[in-house]
Amino acid sequence: MSQGILRIQLDRARCEGHGVCEEAAPRVYRLDDEGVLEILLDPVPEEFEALAESGARLCPVAALRTVRLG
Amino acid sequence: MTRVLDSVVVVGGCVAGVSAADTLRTEGFEGAITVVGDEPHTAYSRPALSKGVLRGEQDSVSVRLPRLDSSVEVRTSTRAVALDTDRRIVTVEHDGRREAVAFGGLVIATGVRARRLAAVERPDEFVVRDLDHSVALAAALRGASSVVIVGGGFLALELASSIRGMGLAVTVVHTLPPLSRHLGAELACLVVDTARAVGVRFVATSPGARALEGDACGVRLPNGAVVTSDVLVSAIGDQPNVEWLAGSGLSCNGPLEVTADGIVRPGIVAAGDVTSTRTASGSVERTPHWHSAIVQGRVAARALLGLAAPATPTPYFWTECFGMDIKVTGRIPRWVEPTALEGSLQQREAVLQWRGPDGVPVAAATVNRRMPLVKLSRLARPEFTEVTR
Repeated sequence: MSQGILRIQLDRARCEGHGVCEEAAPRVYRLDDEGVLEILLDPVPEEFEALAESGARLCPVAALRTVRLG
Repeated sequence: MTRVLDSVVVVGGCVAGVSAADTLRTEGFEGAITVVGDEPHTAYSRPALSKGVLRGEQDSVSVRLPRLDSSVEVRTSTRAVALDTDRRIVTVEHDGRREAVAFGGLVIATGVRARRLAAVERPDEFVVRDLDHSVALAAALRGASSVVIVGGGFLALELASSIRGMGLAVTVVHTLPPLSRHLGAELACLVVDTARAVGVRFVATSPGARALEGDACGVRLPNGAVVTSDVLVSAIGDQPNVEWLAGSGLSCNGPLEVTADGIVRPGIVAAGDVTSTRTASGSVERTPHWHSAIVQGRVAARALLGLAAPATPTPYFWTECFGMDIKVTGRIPRWVEPTALEGSLQQREAVLQWRGPDGVPVAAATVNRRMPLVKLSRLARPEFTEVTR
């Protein structure tokens, strides 16, 4: 069991809208029509934590981080 | 009889391996996962090496991918040296010491290494494949004023863009027209014209350029011409890391051929740059791109767990050079002109689409335009012909 809540940090200046995160976890990440990333679930509910972390991990420009608080 | 999968060893610590390890966990695999990688670093963003890292805007910490789940054992500086498929053992070497690691399932994601002009590695011929390469080249550029880059692919042009942007004189020595194999003639010309406009020199040659010997730095072309510079960078493709498979019964001659599900043989899958697949027409095809490595890692992990592969997405890759941000899905046919669905190439801002001989869309690209990958992929798929016509 993981402790605390999981939050997502997005470095907007770095994000290029590749959408790899969205592919990994469409319930957590969504690119709008302009290719701008929206974080749909933050803090991340426990059942989506692994997917959210996976989406962040695969970002080709390392624009996403997950941090555990509390 | 089906054996229950209790442990998986992933050989290869970069993105294909990470993607496979991640997928095993997100698909509910609870057994032991060990990831071994020969680099001293955990996985990092390779696309940044020719850009931010080289220019000194990103350091080796900021390009690191977030760590894998703590339940996954990650071993760095650990090289696989042998595989026994019958006994299901990988032999790894760390710090000169060998160790046998047993596995239930195996993911091979050992990637590729850069090809070099010189037969033996020499300190004055730089390549950019790993993080340490990029850091070493960045250091060499600090005291230099001119660079020769051999190669005409994405890496060569991205390096040319970064290095020219740092104020150095750049000469690109190439055989085929730069980028034309990947981007098609029109888009490739646009990039090359833009590069020329900022002072990059292009020298076309027949194959067979050699690194200069002795104290001289640069290349000698097959016609006898010599191009000298302070720094020589080779970006002439790669070769798969398969030598460790010698004696395993798996092919160690060229890339490792896998099925569409990433399967090499039962219980053994492979993903990433080390792999190739056979197309319907029988030709061997590689998609050595960041995004493909992720998808293949995912597919391979699912195959190990006995899960069906998701539909194969169209290949996706991108490049950033000389102020152009180009994203491509599908495979651009070489002899077909693209249609601009929005914008134009002249404006350096466009959405482009290529169609095959039968009029069916086969590839699409954006130039300095943001579009979600899902939307862009749709423009490159035959089933959306009606929508986009």
